[in-house]
Amino acid sequence: MLAVNGLTFAYRKGGEELFGGLTREFTAGVLTALTGASGRGKSTLLYLLGLLLRPGTGQVLIDGVSVSGLADEECSRIRASSIGFVFQDAVLDPSRTILDAVIEPALYAGHTIAEVKPRALELLAEFGLAHRGAHRPGQISGGQAQRVALCRALVTDPSIILADEPTGNLDMENSEIVLAALSAAARQGRTVLVATHNAYVVERAADVVRL
Amino acid sequence: MKPKMLLHEVWVSTRTRIVPALMVAVLCASMCVTTLLTVGRTASAEADMMARMEQAGSLELVVSDIKKNDLFSASVVSVVAALDVVERAVGFTTARDVRSGTLPDGGTQVPAWGVVGDISAVVTLTAGRFPLPGEALVSAAAMSSLGHDHPTGYAMQGAQEYPIVGAFSAREPFTNMATGIVIAAQPDATASTLHVIARNAASVAIVQQLTLAIVAAPKLEDITVKSAAALATLQGEIVNDLGLFGRQLLLLVLGAGAILTGVVVLADVLLRRSDLGRRRALGATRQTLITLVMLRTLIAALSGVALGVVASLTRLATWNVSVPLPFIAGTVILTLLAALIAAIGPAVIAATRDPVTVLRTP
Repeated sequence: MLAVNGLTFAYRKGGEELFGGLTREFTAGVLTALTGASGRGKSTLLYLLGLLLRPGTGQVLIDGVSVSGLADEECSRIRASSIGFVFQDAVLDPSRTILDAVIEPALYAGHTIAEVKPRALELLAEFGLAHRGAHRPGQISGGQAQRVALCRALVTDPSIILADEPTGNLDMENSEIVLAALSAAARQGRTVLVATHNAYVVERAADVVRL
Repeated sequence: MKPKMLLHEVWVSTRTRIVPALMVAVLCASMCVTTLLTVGRTASAEADMMARMEQAGSLELVVSDIKKNDLFSASVVSVVAALDVVERAVGFTTARDVRSGTLPDGGTQVPAWGVVGDISAVVTLTAGRFPLPGEALVSAAAMSSLGHDHPTGYAMQGAQEYPIVGAFSAREPFTNMATGIVIAAQPDATASTLHVIARNAASVAIVQQLTLAIVAAPKLEDITVKSAAALATLQGEIVNDLGLFGRQLLLLVLGAGAILTGVVVLADVLLRRSDLGRRRALGATRQTLITLVMLRTLIAALSGVALGVVASLTRLATWNVSVPLPFIAGTVILTLLAALIAAIGPAVIAATRDPVTVLRTP
C-alpha cells in the first residue's frame, strides 16, 4: 500500500509550498489519475512517491513503513525493485537496443541478464514488440518507445508504477494501448498512478486525485 | 548491481559511446609518449650514469701507510668493514714474487699479496677451500705460470712456503690479482694499503671521513688517500639535476594530461545527463554511477597507455635508448592514476546531480 501523510514540498527554501499537508492512501488494483493545473505538482508528487525527492514535511509510506528518510542507497534499492517509472518521453538510451533498455532496471535490482532476459522478451512479445528487441530507439515510433518504457517499468514486477504524462506525446490509438496496459498492470494488484492533463485518461481512471 | 553486470554495463556503455573513450585514450597515450620520450630518455641517461658510478672502482677508497706505521691491523680492517656505509674492506701487504715450491724449476715468478681481513672480500673461490693464515689461493693465470695442473702444492718465497689450498677469480675492483696468488695473512700481520668499497656513490665521502677517523694516522703526511669522492659528488649533482628536471617535466605532462582528461570526462558526464538521470530513476545508486564513470575512464586510459607504451618503445628502439623497466611501470601507473584522479570530480558530479532536474530539462 502506497500512502502519503501530511505531505508538503517546496523546490526552494521559502518558495511556493505544494500539497498543503496532503494525506492519502493510493488504492492498489486500480488506475489512479493525478490531475490538476500546471504547476500544482503532479510530476513532483510522482517523484516524491518514487523517492527521487524528499518531502519538506510529512512522509511517504510503503506498506505502512515510512521511506522518506531512508538513505540514498536504500531509496535506490526500493526504486529498482518495487517501483516502475514511465516518463512522458520514453527516455531510452539511443545507443542501446530495445532489449537492453527493458532489462536495465533489473540489473540495478541485482538480477543478471540471463535471469531477466526471458521475462523481458515475454513483455516485449506481450506489447507486440517481439521483433524489435535488437532495434535501437531511433528505429521505432514514439508509441512503440512508450510501450518499451512500459515493458521496462514492468520487468522487475514492481508493486508500484508511476507514470508521468505517459500519453502526452502519443496519438489516440497509442494512448489507448498505453492506458490499457497500465489498467492491466493495476488489475494485477499494483498501485498505478498516472500524472496527466488528459481528460480522456482521467475518465478512464477508477480513482482521481485533484491537486 | 552485481559486479559482473556492472563490468558488462561499463564495457557496453564504453563501446557504444566511443568518442569520449577515444579522447581519453588519446590523451593517456600522449601522456605516456611524452613522458617516455622525454623524461624516459633522461631516466635512461641517469641510469647509465648511476651504473657507472656504482661500479666498484668508482666506489673504492685506497689508503696507503707510506711511513709503515703498522696502521692497518686486522682489527682496524674489521672495524672499517663493519661500517654500515661500507660494502667491503680489506688490507693488502706489499706484493712480493713467489715461485712454485712443488716443481723443481719453480716455474715463472708470479706476484703474491698477503690479505689482512676477510679474503672473500677480494676473491671468489672457484676450487678448493678458503685458506687459513699462511695458506694461499692461486688464480688460473698464476697456476699456469707456476706450472701447476691443479690448485695444489705450494708457492715459495725464499725459504717461506705457502701451501696452495684452492683457486680463485678476482672480484671487482681487484682484477689485477688475477695474475697472481693471494695469501691469508697471519693474525698479527699489518697491511700496507687499506681498500674500502662504499655501498653506493652517495656514501663515498662519508666512508672516507669515517675510515680516516678509524685509522687515526699520527700525521696526515703518514698516509696517502686515493678516492673517487670528488667524482662521485659531481656525478651525484648531475644525477640530481637530471632527476629534478625529469620530475618537473613529468609533473607538467601528467598535470596537463590530467586536466584535459578531467575536461573530457566532465563534458561526457554533462552530455549524458539524461542517461545518468534515467539510471538514477531506474534504481542505480550513486556508488554505481561513480563506479561506472571511473571504470569507463579506466578502460579508455588502459587502452591509451598500452598504445602509448608500444609507440614510445618502438621510437626509443630506433634511438638505441633503453628506458629502465621500473620507469616504464611507474609511467603506466602514474598515467592511470592521473586519469582516474581526473575522473573523480566528474564522477561525483554525475552521481550527485538531481535526477529530477535532469529528467525534466529537455
